Amino acid sequence: MQTLDAENRIWDVIVIGAGMGGGLVGRRLAEKGHRVLFVEKGPRGHRHEGQGLADDVTDPAARLVRGYWPVPVRAVVEGQTLNFYAPIGAGVGGSSVFYAGSLERPERHDLEATPGHPHPTGGWPVSYDAFQPYFDDAQRLLGISGTPDPLSREDPGPLAPPPPLSEGDANLLASFRDGGLHPYRLHSAIGNVEGCLQCVGRKCPKSCKKDGRSAGVEPALETGLADILDLCDVREIQEEKGYVSRLVCDRQGVRLHLRARIYILAAGALNSPRLLLASAASSKRAIANSSGWVGRGLMFHLDEYFAIWPKKAVPGDGPSKSIAFRDLYSRNGDRFGMVQSLGVDATYGIVAMHIKQLYERSRFPKLKLVHNGLNVLAAVACRYFGNAKIFAGMVEDLPRYENRVIFDPDDPDVPVFHYEIPEELHHRRRLYRSAIRKAMKGMRLFHLTKGPQINYGHPMGTLRFGDDPKSSVLDRSCRSHDLANLYVADASFMPTSTGVNPSLTIGANSLRVAEIVSDRLKEANQQND
Amino acid sequence: MTETVTALRDGVAVVTGASRGLGLQLVKGFLDRGMRVAGIVRSTDVLSSLASESDGRFLPVTANIADPEQVKAAFAQIKNQLGPVTILINNAAVYPRRDILDETPASFMDTININLGGSFFACHNVLPVMMDLGFGRVINVVTFADQAPIPFAAAYSVSKGAQRVLTKVLVAEIGDRFPNIVFTDWVPGALQTEMGLPDGLPPEKAAQWGVTLALMDERDLQGAFFVENAQVLPPRSKKERVVQALLGQKPVARSLD
Repeated sequence: MQTLDAENRIWDVIVIGAGMGGGLVGRRLAEKGHRVLFVEKGPRGHRHEGQGLADDVTDPAARLVRGYWPVPVRAVVEGQTLNFYAPIGAGVGGSSVFYAGSLERPERHDLEATPGHPHPTGGWPVSYDAFQPYFDDAQRLLGISGTPDPLSREDPGPLAPPPPLSEGDANLLASFRDGGLHPYRLHSAIGNVEGCLQCVGRKCPKSCKKDGRSAGVEPALETGLADILDLCDVREIQEEKGYVSRLVCDRQGVRLHLRARIYILAAGALNSPRLLLASAASSKRAIANSSGWVGRGLMFHLDEYFAIWPKKAVPGDGPSKSIAFRDLYSRNGDRFGMVQSLGVDATYGIVAMHIKQLYERSRFPKLKLVHNGLNVLAAVACRYFGNAKIFAGMVEDLPRYENRVIFDPDDPDVPVFHYEIPEELHHRRRLYRSAIRKAMKGMRLFHLTKGPQINYGHPMGTLRFGDDPKSSVLDRSCRSHDLANLYVADASFMPTSTGVNPSLTIGANSLRVAEIVSDRLKEANQQND
Repeated sequence: MTETVTALRDGVAVVTGASRGLGLQLVKGFLDRGMRVAGIVRSTDVLSSLASESDGRFLPVTANIADPEQVKAAFAQIKNQLGPVTILINNAAVYPRRDILDETPASFMDTININLGGSFFACHNVLPVMMDLGFGRVINVVTFADQAPIPFAAAYSVSKGAQRVLTKVLVAEIGDRFPNIVFTDWVPGALQTEMGLPDGLPPEKAAQWGVTLALMDERDLQGAFFVENAQVLPPRSKKERVVQALLGQKPVARSLD
C-alpha cells in the first residue's frame, strides 16, 4: 500500500493496530464488503519467521523489525520504578503471533452475577448468552481444538478434536483424575498440521497456529477489500464536533493524515489509552474521556507457576502442552482462574531463571559468587526435575481506579503505567496457592514462584465498556460514549479480567464489534441511496 | 522453475570459485548427489566439458565475485535457469603472497573485496530466496590465517578473519528469525591445490566432507565451526562444564566421515 493511496480516500473503516482484536475485526468487516485500512506500528514481517519474543535484543529498530515493541515500558509497580521489555508485539498479528495459543472461554460468572458469585462491577453490559455466538464464531475462525471442561454446564462451542495425547500427558491426566480433579484438553489455536512445530511463544512459520495474523490480517487482505500501512505510527486522533475527524500519522519520516467513516482502536490495553491520552495532550482537551476512566482500571493476571511430577513418569517424554483444569477457578465466591500446562519443559534455563528470581527477591545479600552458585543449583534441580511438567494457574485481577496507563509527553512512545496489588489480591493469591497445594496432594509439587508474578502479557481493562457514561469509556457496543464513530476492539474494553487468557474474549468481542459496525455502515449506505 | 522445493537437495547448490581445486571438487560432489549445481567462476572455459556432461544439472556462470553487480546478475541467471538456491558455499578466495610494505591501498582492498566482499555479496543475493523457502545452508570456507597471521599474508588474514565475523553476524541477524537458514564455518585443511600445499589433502577428499556438511539439515549447526572432517565445539566456561556435567549433557562434536 502506498502512503498516498491511503491518504487520498475516505475508508469505510480504519483499524489502528493489527493484532488479535484489530486483525479479527478487520477481517470480518472486509468479508462483509467494507473497505478496511489497517494502520500498524510494526512491520508486516515475513511468513517464514520463527523468532520468539526476546529481551536481549535492545536496539529499537532491531526489535521492531522482529515484531517486538521497540522500547521498554516504564512502570511503577508496588512503588518501584521499573523499565523492562513487556511481552508485547508490534507488527502484523501484534502480540498474538508470539502467544502460546491458549484460547479459553471465560465462565458465566466472569461476565455476570450468578448464584454464589456476585459480580465485582455488577456485570458486563453484555450478557454471557449474548456473547455466546461470538465465542462460537471466534473458536471456528481460530480453529480451536480441545475437549469440553467436564465441570461446565455451558455449551462449549465448536471444538476440533485435539491431537492424540503423549504417554506422559495421558499419565498426568490419570494422576489428576485420581486426585479428584477434572482435567480436560486445553483449548488451543495450534493447528497440529503435518510437521507442526508447536510454536508456543514464537512466530509460526507455517500459519498452522491461528492468531491475529493468520486468522485476521492475512484473510482480510485476501478479500481484496483491505489494505495495510505498516511501520506507521499514529500520533493523534483528532476530534471535531463529537466525531473523530482524522488520524495524524508518521510513516518513514512522512507526516500523513488518514480519514475514515469509522475508526476502530485496537492497539492493545497499554497503547490504546496511551493514544487517546496523547491525542488529548496535543489538542489540550479530553478525547473520549468525559468519564475520566481512560487508562484506568488496568488489570493483569497474577500467575502461579509450579512443577509437578506425574505418578508414573515416562522417560524421555516431552513437555506437556495440552492439559487444563478449572477445579480451582473459584472457591467460596473468591475468584481465581484456570490452571494450564505451559508447553515448556522443565529445562535448565527455565529452572535457573526461576531460582534466580527467587534469589533476587530474597533478603539475602546479592553476591556474585552466590549468583553463580545458583546455576549449579539449577542444574541439580533440573536433574531432580527430570520429567516434571510445568503448569501455570492464574488469579483474576479486579479493576481499580488507581491502576492506570498514563501518558508522558516527554516520552510519547513509551507505554507508562502505575500498578499496585491491593491487599485483597495478595490474600486471594495466597488462598489460590494453598488451594493448588491441596489439589496436587499425592503428587510431587514444586512452586516456581514465590511472590506475586504479574503477567505483563495480559494487560486489560483500560477503556472499559459499561452502560454508565460516568464510570466507563465505551458503551455496550464498544463505541466511545463521547465520539460517535470511535470503537474499540482490544483487551481495553474488558471491565473485569476473567480467569482465563484474554485472547478468545478479545477475538469474540472483535467479531461482535464488526457486526455492529457493519450494520451501521450498511444502514448509512441505504439512507444515502 | 515452478516445482516446490521442500528440502535442501531439491534446490540448487552454488559454489563460488568453482573453476579448480576445492571448488571444482565441491561441484562434482553435489552433482554426484544428484543435485543441480551452479559454479561462479572468472572464466567458464575450463568447465564447459563438465557442463555438457551434466545433463543440464551444472551451470557455470561467469562473474567477478568482487563486483556486486556481476554477482547479482549471476544469481539472477542461476535462479532463472536452475531454480531457487538452497545451498551456498562461499569458497572463492585469493591469497596474494605479498609483503605488507608492497601492498597498495588498491591491492589490499582487492583482496578484501574478493574474500570478504564476495561472501557478503553472495549471501545478500541468496538470503531473500532462502527466506521465501524458509530454509537454506550457507557455508563459509575459512582458515586459521586470522588466528596467527604469518608474514606475506596481510590482506588474506584480515579478510578471512572478517569472513568468520561475517558468519557470526549472520547468525545474530538472521539466526533467530530464520532458524532453518543455517550458517557454518568450515576449514577444509591444507589442500593439495594451487593455493595450498604440495603434500596437502587431496581436494576431492575434503570436498566430500564439505558436501556432507552442506547436506546436514540440522538447526543446531547454526554458527558451528568445522575443521576438516570434525566439528570443533566452542570452549566451555567452568560454569557450563559444571552445569553440563550435572545434567549429563556433554556436547558431542559431529564427524563428517
